[in-house]
Amino acid sequence: MNDRVVITGLGVVSSIGTGKDEFWRNVLSGTSGIGPVSVFDTKDHFTHNGGEISNFDPSDHFEEQEYRLMNRSSQMALVAAKLAVSDAGLSERSLDNSNAGVSCGTTLGDAQSIELIDNSLLDNTDINKDHCYQIPTHSTPSNIASELKLNGPSFMFSTACAAGNYAVSYAYDLIRLGRADIMIAGASDPMSRIEFTGFNQFSAVAPDKCRPFDKGRKGMMLAEGAGFLVLETLDRALNRKAHIYGELIGYGLSCDAAHMTNPSVEGVAQCMINAMKDAGIRTDDVDYISAHGTGTSANDRTEVAAIKKVFGDRYRSIPVSSIKSMLGHTMGAASAIEAVTCALIINNDKIPPTINYENVDPECDIDCVPNIARDHVVNIALNNSYAFGGNNASVVFRKYTG
Amino acid sequence: MNRDVVVTGIGVLSPVGTGKEDFWNALKEGRSGFKEISLFDTTRYRTNIGGEIAGFDPVEYLGKKGLRTLDRSTKLVCSAARLALDDAGLDITPENEGSIGVSVGSTFGSLKSIAEFDREGITEGPRYVNPSYFPNTVLNSPASNISIRFGIKGFNTTVSTGFCASLDAIMYASDFIRLNRADAVLAGGVEELCNETFLIFNELGYLSSSNEDSLSVDAPAVNGGLVLSEGSALCVLESEEHALKRSASILARVAGYGNSFDPSINNGGQSGLGLSRAIINALKEAGLDKNDIDLICCGVTATKSMIRTEFDLITDMFGDQTKIRSIDPSIRGSFSASGAMALSYGIGLITGTDGNHPSVDTSSSDRNIHRVMVIASDPRGNNSAVVLERFEDE
Repeated sequence: MNDRVVITGLGVVSSIGTGKDEFWRNVLSGTSGIGPVSVFDTKDHFTHNGGEISNFDPSDHFEEQEYRLMNRSSQMALVAAKLAVSDAGLSERSLDNSNAGVSCGTTLGDAQSIELIDNSLLDNTDINKDHCYQIPTHSTPSNIASELKLNGPSFMFSTACAAGNYAVSYAYDLIRLGRADIMIAGASDPMSRIEFTGFNQFSAVAPDKCRPFDKGRKGMMLAEGAGFLVLETLDRALNRKAHIYGELIGYGLSCDAAHMTNPSVEGVAQCMINAMKDAGIRTDDVDYISAHGTGTSANDRTEVAAIKKVFGDRYRSIPVSSIKSMLGHTMGAASAIEAVTCALIINNDKIPPTINYENVDPECDIDCVPNIARDHVVNIALNNSYAFGGNNASVVFRKYTG
Repeated sequence: MNRDVVVTGIGVLSPVGTGKEDFWNALKEGRSGFKEISLFDTTRYRTNIGGEIAGFDPVEYLGKKGLRTLDRSTKLVCSAARLALDDAGLDITPENEGSIGVSVGSTFGSLKSIAEFDREGITEGPRYVNPSYFPNTVLNSPASNISIRFGIKGFNTTVSTGFCASLDAIMYASDFIRLNRADAVLAGGVEELCNETFLIFNELGYLSSSNEDSLSVDAPAVNGGLVLSEGSALCVLESEEHALKRSASILARVAGYGNSFDPSINNGGQSGLGLSRAIINALKEAGLDKNDIDLICCGVTATKSMIRTEFDLITDMFGDQTKIRSIDPSIRGSFSASGAMALSYGIGLITGTDGNHPSVDTSSSDRNIHRVMVIASDPRGNNSAVVLERFEDE
């Protein structure tokens, strides 16, 4: 049993930056990645904005014959995974000598390929075989594992908007159980017409921007992106003198078992309790919470009520921010990108803000780090994520102090 | 931390039979589940045959309430959950609901719901789509509906690794029990037969083009191609301690797992290296030698070349073809559910020789089968192996 699992590499592809440095600069300065959606026509939708990565061009990263068989979800994931591996100081080709694996998350896998096939079916035009090849949900981990020559476990978790945390947390278990020495763990999701239509029909999308915890919040922003982390045993990281961003010390899952789309205070609270119990920490130990914070009325109200329930009187003294205010909601990728952010937070003792915050909502009276980043010592960070189906996942990170 | 994991219940809905006894009997008798597809129009495809569960009526298992907006995968997996919980005699109560989880393998289980929702958005306009079908578009919808219906609150996970998905979901569940994250888990897989999945498998060249070939149930090495099926198989996995405490009847012990990706994949084939690593890892974890394995359940994969690679590899590794049992092609076609079906079959092989359950082993019913290995491979590189052994109460 490997007791200690550390983070040694970070990779991110987002609307506010590719690579951890650009991303971190922009997330601290409160940069918004929101703009008009261009990948599909939104003229008949109620809203038109989203968090597309307008400058992500696969030809910057791959040869055409490579990316032709890779959907956008895989392309973003593979770029983020490679960035994480290189950040960890691991040579890509050295991984095949290690027991290294991959653990991915997603909401719909390659939604865009499904959408393109639907177009062909409706237009009665030929179906592009490449799109069919891209659809199976495990294309993403397979693409990563093939490219990086990983011969350990390969997993894909389709647990909707909590998928990133599921992927990262099982990677942690796989290392602890000795099933892998190194895991490349994260998640990706492309901008999707299906999600855009569905959340619009739920009246859950804001017309302009995402304002988590604000009294005037109007909903989420659909977005795309990928975030990946390199996890390995502490011994291995020390032996190869890798930079250690922090430790993953435990996690918790729970299921509301109540409703497919309405979150429950009890389920969300139980998830945080399970995570802290697994990590062997008390509520007093938590210095920062990376909120699920989608900016919908129901999510934010529920999440804050759960935080109050779990942390009691202390709830106002814990900074709780949502980077979805900047990136929008990258679906399954969200908690993976937030895990990357948590690693940067405990490593730098700086907390990114919740932007677009103007009016206090008495029901969400937490310290959401409004609008401006803050210097704050963070030894322990809790990363929350919640999903359709009542799937909840929270992961605990700790500063590495030897 | 290393708690032993046992299987105490099986719920299966398959084209060959429903419920574990019927399923085992069907396999013993060599019943095939292939028939003409009635669920959708097959005129554009070269085959009109599939493993459809004819006359599936979820009301039989779930009652009438709350079924209206659920898709077929969700109804199948919830029905399998009902059967598995009943078979295990496990009641979900306020005391245990937080320590029981759900882990489901499904890759295309929600594809029809996703694509139909998308197409309705285009044809009707995005403002006229019925939002009550949107929750079905997440791939975890079948699994999460099990939790909602039965009040299972510990955790809920969906694994999408193609043909390996349900064995991987079972490995995940077992790890959760070993690590004391849960006492019991409903684990397995589900896929529904639908036009969307048919279309993709057809385009990928995995679908058998000749009905005659696809209906053959002979030797695994020569029986190529895939005919799609549907179904769901879920097992109740428990810590041995938990099962004994509630005096549950134990069907088998889960002895070890192996999981290995094969980066040398090309054109829907694998070299066999990944599968051999998965098998070696599973044996190692179980603390066993290959000679300790009495039977290998295989055939959970798609392409002709993969089936051949798999067959050659296990013949080579185990040195004895008589140890190989390929699952019926009409079971194999259930994609992400097929691993859990093969595992349920394996449990039948183990229990079949102790006199309590009908044997599904037709050719060597006198052999004492103590340990079975179930393997699965996916054309995209995944490989999984699970070792099951007879439970002997000490």
